[in-house]
Amino acid sequence: MKLALYPGCLMPTEQYAYEMSIRETLPLMGVEIVDLPGFSCCGEPLKSINQMLTLHMSARNLSIADREGIDLLVPCPMCHLALSEAKNILDGNGEMKKRINAKLREEGLEYIGKQRLFHIIDLVHDEIGLDTIRERVKKTLPDLNMAAHYGCHILRPSEMGRPVDSENPRKMEAILLSLGVRSEDYAEKLDCCGGPLLPNHPETSLAKTGQKLQAVSEQGFDGMVLACPWCQKMFDSKQTKAAESVGSRAHVPVLYLTQLMGLAFGIDDAKLGLNLNLSPVDDLGLKGEVE
Amino acid sequence: MERIGVFVCHCGINISSMVDVESIVERVRELDGVVEAKSYKYMCSDRGAQIIKKSIEEKGIDGAVIACCSPRMHEPTFRGVAEDGGMNPFTVEIANIREQCSWAHDSRERSTEKAMKLVMSSVAKARLLEPLERGRTPVIPNALVIGGGIAGIQASLDLANEGFRVYLVEKDPSIGGRMAQLDKTFPTLDCSSCILTPKMMEVYHHPNIDLMTYSEVLSIEGSIGDYRVKVRRKPRYVDVDRCTGCGDCVTACRMRDRIPDEFNMGLSNRSAIYIQFPQAIPLKAVMDSETCLFHRFGKCGDGPLCVEACEAEAIDFEQKEEVAELNVGAIVVATGYDLLDPASLHEYGYSRSKNVITTLELERLISSSGPTKGEVRLPSSGERPRSVTMIMCVGSRDETQCSWCCRIGCMTALKQVILLRENLGEEVEINILYTDIRSFGKGYEEFYRNVRAENTNFFRGRPSEVRIRNEDIRIDIFDTITNKLFEIRTDMVVLVPAVVPRADSGEFARMMNLSRSGDGFLLEAHLKLKPMDTFVNGIFIAGCCQGPKDITDTVAQASGAASRAAGILSKKELENDPLIAVVDADLCSGCRICISLCPYSAIEPVVETMAGEEVVHAEINEVLCQGCGACVAACPSGAINQMGFKDNQILAMIGVLNDCSDAGGLK
Amino acid sequence: MSITDMTSMAEAQSDLRSEINKRLERLILGVSDYCYQCAKCTSGCESHKLLELEPHQIVALLKRGLIDEMVNSEIIWTCMSCFKCKERCPQKVPPVDILFALKNLTVLTGKQVPGDYTQMLQSVMSIGYIQDRQTVPTRSGDTVKREDLGLPVLSGLQDPNGFQNIITASAVEKI
Repeated sequence: MKLALYPGCLMPTEQYAYEMSIRETLPLMGVEIVDLPGFSCCGEPLKSINQMLTLHMSARNLSIADREGIDLLVPCPMCHLALSEAKNILDGNGEMKKRINAKLREEGLEYIGKQRLFHIIDLVHDEIGLDTIRERVKKTLPDLNMAAHYGCHILRPSEMGRPVDSENPRKMEAILLSLGVRSEDYAEKLDCCGGPLLPNHPETSLAKTGQKLQAVSEQGFDGMVLACPWCQKMFDSKQTKAAESVGSRAHVPVLYLTQLMGLAFGIDDAKLGLNLNLSPVDDLGLKGEVE
Repeated sequence: MERIGVFVCHCGINISSMVDVESIVERVRELDGVVEAKSYKYMCSDRGAQIIKKSIEEKGIDGAVIACCSPRMHEPTFRGVAEDGGMNPFTVEIANIREQCSWAHDSRERSTEKAMKLVMSSVAKARLLEPLERGRTPVIPNALVIGGGIAGIQASLDLANEGFRVYLVEKDPSIGGRMAQLDKTFPTLDCSSCILTPKMMEVYHHPNIDLMTYSEVLSIEGSIGDYRVKVRRKPRYVDVDRCTGCGDCVTACRMRDRIPDEFNMGLSNRSAIYIQFPQAIPLKAVMDSETCLFHRFGKCGDGPLCVEACEAEAIDFEQKEEVAELNVGAIVVATGYDLLDPASLHEYGYSRSKNVITTLELERLISSSGPTKGEVRLPSSGERPRSVTMIMCVGSRDETQCSWCCRIGCMTALKQVILLRENLGEEVEINILYTDIRSFGKGYEEFYRNVRAENTNFFRGRPSEVRIRNEDIRIDIFDTITNKLFEIRTDMVVLVPAVVPRADSGEFARMMNLSRSGDGFLLEAHLKLKPMDTFVNGIFIAGCCQGPKDITDTVAQASGAASRAAGILSKKELENDPLIAVVDADLCSGCRICISLCPYSAIEPVVETMAGEEVVHAEINEVLCQGCGACVAACPSGAINQMGFKDNQILAMIGVLNDCSDAGGLK
Repeated sequence: MSITDMTSMAEAQSDLRSEINKRLERLILGVSDYCYQCAKCTSGCESHKLLELEPHQIVALLKRGLIDEMVNSEIIWTCMSCFKCKERCPQKVPPVDILFALKNLTVLTGKQVPGDYTQMLQSVMSIGYIQDRQTVPTRSGDTVKREDLGLPVLSGLQDPNGFQNIITASAVEKI
């Protein structure tokens, strides 16, 4: 299976560990990653400024995939939603499609809409399959109970065809189980990380992150597993500040699903960027020899 | 026909405001064959009828075109008027210039033009219409009632008391239905069993009622007045003539307390042989072969303990399924409802906590015959709940689940507030989270007022989710009355789920040839004017299979349906509509396409020997044929014609509508 | 005939209301009219407890045409866009998308854009991304750049000037 990696903004400019672990793990599962030139921001972070801009930018990125006739791997849930919503609008409103295509033509592009979109979770769970994951596992991970955090935009709105069940997502848990890691339910699972408020309400944003960290910590989880660069930024990079803002002393190891997969596949933790996680991931006892 | 009268209705201003009625009258007068053209404000009124009858008498018209509303409204009216006046009723043709013209358009000029075309095409058809005669069918004076809940019980008793033989078919081991599961009923707080069991007993002992429990309708053939129905009688593995209902076998069973009890909504366990509930009618044990060890493995310890325990020697492992064949003239369908499985709103935690239950489960907890002998306890721990929170409209009035109102949820929850206080004492905290309180029935608003005085906390809002951490349940609710967000910590959540069609209602409707509305409930022939009729003559519906309703309305509808059925059963014979399909045997090639298509199984192949060769042609049973026209359209040889809609008649209409010139090729 | 909010003496702006409704329709995002004020949205709003956002109130004000009150309020900038309101609305009303519409309206009418949005916009205009490659800290106390990590070169825009010209028009275009 060949997929073009749509990087978005945050992953390639800051959340390097996500990109590193994706590039390391996917080829092991038979996915060839292709890098296409010309991608830009999906536009979703600017939706509050002007949604026409968002739509145009999403359509622009989709049309690059259309030009190459290739499906997209979109590891960022926010980008995944922006691109899905753009597809929904352009496929459902012919007039809007004409209007956007007139703009795209100036760059020599055209939106057709043939490309399929994959996030990491559905790609692994639905396309690659859990049997393949189990076959790739080379290392027995310690007995862990990790809190799964999906990220709002991969869950909702289900109207835009989200890859997981909006109210009872189970795919990440199933992937974790096939790696030998437990993931119990918790009441705050579907809650927001607070990230979208960071531009104009930074304190509140951090408080929101802190509250969820506190809840995860209270319920005795060993750590959190994520598949969103924005959430990772909040829960991992900003963990100390976030916990402090709600007077919590939570120390929660946070890592990407693809990092955990890489470790279970026996990949060297340096190649998975584990040193870039600022949360106490060493507490998990994940490093060590392949058995 | 040769002498046609055209009658154009103003319908108040419904037609005349958008169509120039008088210009139509003037214009059609000139058409070939038209000897009379009149208009009137309400042609369907008595005065309108007089106008038509006078034309029959004075102008000797033998065909009529009525330009008015849809034929679904008044075709029978005008056929009756024509018949009264001495004309053949089937030479009346309706031109729909209201629903399909005046109501649909906003240009008077163009609507008038269209109405003119419609009337002229009807005149073209009327010229080719033929007088038809009605056939006659004898009526079998027996009734079938499907479903033994309160609706089926009421309908059966009404029909039996009128003197008709009634077959009451119930799929469960006992009659009683949903009502038997309830503790008390709103707004009177009557004990549900106390008012239901006398009726159940009456059914059981009624000489005219043949009670068939643990049975299901398999198939249905025939038509109004003469239905032939096959009913599967599942084996009980208990000889009901011997069984005394003592319950010794239930206590003895090796599977005792190991099988989830459906009647108690899985809140308690039963044996493999069981009596559905203490007031069951018939009070006879039934053996569930799916869970009985002897049935599953051919062995039950040293021998089945039920056999050992039964002094009446009623256990019979050899019983086989039987199929009964019934012959009835009319059918009442009363198959009831299901509650929405609240797991479909995952955010409300039904599948995540035992302490999140439904109203029906609470009803069983409150009932003295229920799993806790009437003590309301937390399913998780068996402790007394200190706080109960009820969430209304779970899946109701929700475009993602059920768009309709369940009509019983508000009153059920309000009633349960009173029952909970009786059960748990005044100190129990009760929260009601509602969107609207709909207390529309007689005595309901007064009941609501009493509950409001019960120190109950009402929050006007819908929670987004129920948060569960072990035994701790928290709900955030934004109350739109105070504009404040409240966090409720509670022990038990009672969800008020939507009322939905029975899970198998699609399959059932197909088997019975009944239609369903978009919501999946069985479709009535007219929501207001024929609420108990279906589109299949002789089959009537009652209770929640038609749509959500409370016991009061269910009983009223059941008596109504029984009365509609009695109207048929009390006749010796019925007249058949002659607007049916007819095969021209000379043209029929015997391809049998029509036979496979007929939804009423009204067509059969007939073999004849002609010139020494066997020839097959289709033949239509005029009683079974409902005149749907499916065979007419499908016949590749053009051998089937529909009376009143013959090819030449339809082509004449199309000819007029297709001709763009004003004369329409008629003059 | 008019409708006035007697507290603020503001008049209903039915033209703006229908503009927002048409926008929702064009973007296939839902219809606001069916709201019956059950407040399921506000009960679950991620921003409500911390910043007092009341999505059901936003829909109520929209239905009453009190657009300016919202456009002039900081409250519309408190949405976390978690989409719970839209996901769980029993009437398929999308408060989150109404909030996007109101924020867009605020920007288009030339009122100030709060926080870091301006900076993000400028960055997207010039390099196509909301920020350039960052130097990030490691857990062992060092800092690293993208180039140090063996990741492929991030191919940026092929024609940044052309991109800027084309995209600028969309940034001020009405839907």
